[in-house]
Amino acid sequence: MTDMFEHDESCGCREYRELSRREFVGTAAGLSSAMFFPEWLPKVVLAQTYASNRDVIVSIFQRGGVDGLNLVVPYADPAYYTGRSTIAIPRPDASVPANQKVTALDNFFGFAPAMTPLVPAFASGNLLAVHAAGQSYVSRSHFDAQRFMEVGKPADASIVTGWLGRHLALVPPMRTDAPLRALGLSNGLAKTLVGAPQTLPIANPASFTIGGAANTSAARQAVVAADYSDAPAPLNASALAAVNTIALLQAVSFDRYVPMNGAVYPNSSFGRALKSVATLIRADVGIEAAQVDIGGWDTHAAQGGATGALATLSTDFASSLAAFHADVVATNARVTVVIISEFGRNARENGSQGTDHGRATTMFAMGQGIVGGRVLVNGWPGLAKENLESGQDLKVTTDYRDVLAEIVQKRLGNSALDQIFPGWTVNFKGVAL
Amino acid sequence: MGLEERLVAAQTNPEPPRGRRKFLAGALAGVATLAAARPAFAQGRSKKADREVMPVDPFAGALGLAIAPPSAWANPTIRLVRRATLGLSDADVTAAKAMGYQGWLQYQLDYQRIDDSAVDNAVATLWPTTTQDVNALFSVAQSTVQTAQQAAWVYRAALSKRQLYERMVEFWSDHFNIEFAKVGYLKVVDDRDVIRKNALGKFSDLVKASSKSGAMMAYLDQNVSRVGAPNQNYARELMELHTLGVNGGYTQDDVAELSRVLTGWTIQGRGTFTFNATLHDWGAKTVMGVTIPAGSPALGADGIKEGEQMIDFLCNHPSTATFISTKLLKWLLTPEPTQSQVNIVAGVFRATGGDLKLVVRAILNQGWMATAPAKFKRPFHYLVSALRGSNAAITNTAGINGQLVNLGQPLYQWETPDGYPDLFEYWSGNLMPRWQFGTTVANLRSGTIVVDTTPYLSGTADAAVDLIARNFFGGEMDAVTRANLLTYLKGGTFNETRVRETLSLAIASELFQWY
Repeated sequence: MTDMFEHDESCGCREYRELSRREFVGTAAGLSSAMFFPEWLPKVVLAQTYASNRDVIVSIFQRGGVDGLNLVVPYADPAYYTGRSTIAIPRPDASVPANQKVTALDNFFGFAPAMTPLVPAFASGNLLAVHAAGQSYVSRSHFDAQRFMEVGKPADASIVTGWLGRHLALVPPMRTDAPLRALGLSNGLAKTLVGAPQTLPIANPASFTIGGAANTSAARQAVVAADYSDAPAPLNASALAAVNTIALLQAVSFDRYVPMNGAVYPNSSFGRALKSVATLIRADVGIEAAQVDIGGWDTHAAQGGATGALATLSTDFASSLAAFHADVVATNARVTVVIISEFGRNARENGSQGTDHGRATTMFAMGQGIVGGRVLVNGWPGLAKENLESGQDLKVTTDYRDVLAEIVQKRLGNSALDQIFPGWTVNFKGVAL
Repeated sequence: MGLEERLVAAQTNPEPPRGRRKFLAGALAGVATLAAARPAFAQGRSKKADREVMPVDPFAGALGLAIAPPSAWANPTIRLVRRATLGLSDADVTAAKAMGYQGWLQYQLDYQRIDDSAVDNAVATLWPTTTQDVNALFSVAQSTVQTAQQAAWVYRAALSKRQLYERMVEFWSDHFNIEFAKVGYLKVVDDRDVIRKNALGKFSDLVKASSKSGAMMAYLDQNVSRVGAPNQNYARELMELHTLGVNGGYTQDDVAELSRVLTGWTIQGRGTFTFNATLHDWGAKTVMGVTIPAGSPALGADGIKEGEQMIDFLCNHPSTATFISTKLLKWLLTPEPTQSQVNIVAGVFRATGGDLKLVVRAILNQGWMATAPAKFKRPFHYLVSALRGSNAAITNTAGINGQLVNLGQPLYQWETPDGYPDLFEYWSGNLMPRWQFGTTVANLRSGTIVVDTTPYLSGTADAAVDLIARNFFGGEMDAVTRANLLTYLKGGTFNETRVRETLSLAIASELFQWY
């Protein structure tokens, strides 16, 4: 943790540069250091640390199959426009206002207007888009495609655990005394995290309490803890983690959190979730992974173009990520974000001004350790009908596992890729430092 | 003793406190593969070792999904009542013991013969939107419609005598999931005319009713599908989720062709189903080897028969019998049904044309129930079971919707068509909201839901815990749970506050999470 803020010269937060958390531990007993610390910071401080150069990872799943062609638009492929007569987003040189056309990222791809909040992250070199990415395994079922993507191995129903869950189980904790190593900002545990030790789904970390009278809460917690102690796995571990996490989360004042660089998170469920993740990362309480989902991408009908349903959702997505970038990624070299979706959508729009289930789409990675500022394509397959898979879909030229595996090895310090992505021969694409 | 000391003490207790909950490890033939991946459990290693971080084996299922039942669950009839209700109540347990296993099962299956008029009347009075047609519902604020629908659901689940039927309503509501936010009041009509009408009827009637549900048409974009521009959303989920299952033998081409067959199936007016022949694709199609010859617009309304023929085909397909039987086995009996169990139930399904009463009766047979693993309550089930166990006096349930949000299962708010998961590994980490809810329920002292503590205060602390065992656990509470509750109850002044806290701990207890 001592190096956590070494890259934050521009963060503008004097207290962080002047006092590391280690110093806080050393001084808190004798000196009043409250004046140096934001009031939302937990009053409990983890004494033990584990020398780690691993990144905290934030894994985001766009559920529903995202239309990557209308997020990162291949504006220089003429077939994009012939196949999408009502939903295509005009070229950067179209004679329409800037907020109704593509913002070029290079001479082939550009952001849809709704994605432009992410231009600063892209320009800073921290944001990478990978196009024509997806699963080699062909499934147009949301649920099969999500499941196998999160498991990390296609078409193997015997694996219950997720790729990130196995990663966490294979490495020692970044902080030996961290009560909670990972969390999902959700009511149930996403498949991605299944198998991770000391990991809970916590939809709202700000209200993590057993409730009731304050003078008996400790005694009641003790009864609950004892009661679950011989429960079957993983219920026993979940209960223990929950009890041990109460004090930690109660000590963080989520509602008084002040993002850095003036970042403003949208008041959407995705924006609030990322803000909670940011709070926990900056509170430095030992969280090393977070899973956040954003749904609604299953745009079969009336998805719109530069404006409309998909644009509204994309604006929430991009604005929330932009805030997280300014607040956390730009100020902390040891945080990496990955964003995937189960599949893309048909290259051509359907008759309902929407798109049906397709194949390749875009995925994203964000972090100071990501080789970003570019749209990475392993050969653009093209959108002309003869180039489409089954005559309808953008072909997958980059398997998502190649991107994730490189991040797992280089940023998360875990080389056991054969256990995280079993059966996959990894081919790094140079996405991470 | 501080919290950590308590935990250490519990973990190092030389005697396995409850001697239960080992993984089934091969007790069911179908578990063999998974059991092989966790030999440590099969060999019964120490409780302490069991509690370490879960084993990780990326090449096979590392988590046991079949959890052995608590040792306290001795009475086979009460095991049936746990499975066939949304939570034990003293009244149901007493009735079931009197009727016996078979008698009570048949009583619940013949749900139409159970007089539930008191509940029906109360729901109709409290929430009139639940009985209104689309024209009336159209002019009501959608938030009112949604709140009423959710409240009525909880009310029925908690108070209906037709408990097995309500369990099936819950099952089909996930199977034919529809998100309220996308379809609004049409969900009310679907719940009434599709789900509740057929929940223990014939499977094919359910699918047919669903295929002509305005809500389903709108939810899966079927209402915007038309000739030359078919929308595949409904056609895909009709095969993948509603009938055949994802491995049921169809291809992407079949999805595309079925979507052409269904063109013209849409809605009109305020959201009632209609077949619009002018939107129908009259060209020849082939779906899963079934050829539908080219038709003609002159056939008009008869164009609907193409789709009806295909829905019959899907309902009668052997993959459907297997898929639905497997899913029902998981819902009612075990997370890991054996191939033999699936074969037997699917055989009943095929032989009876998907008669759900007979299928459910086959699943809930006494022999299988006696060896069935425990199942983990979903949040809705947990909430309702707490209301039932605490024998709460309920005059209205609208106020409790927010609790379902906290617990993670707000009704009709699962966005995707697969419905809320019924998976232990999905829900088992989300315990804190459950513990919170235990506190909330136990402190309902006034208002529309009241938990009366008078009976618990009329005797000794021991008698109070005995009553908790009877009300919440059918009298089957293990010694450790009992000792935990009794120790807490006796740790303070024996008064209403202490009793309520003890009730909250009973609801929060591990034992109460299973059914």
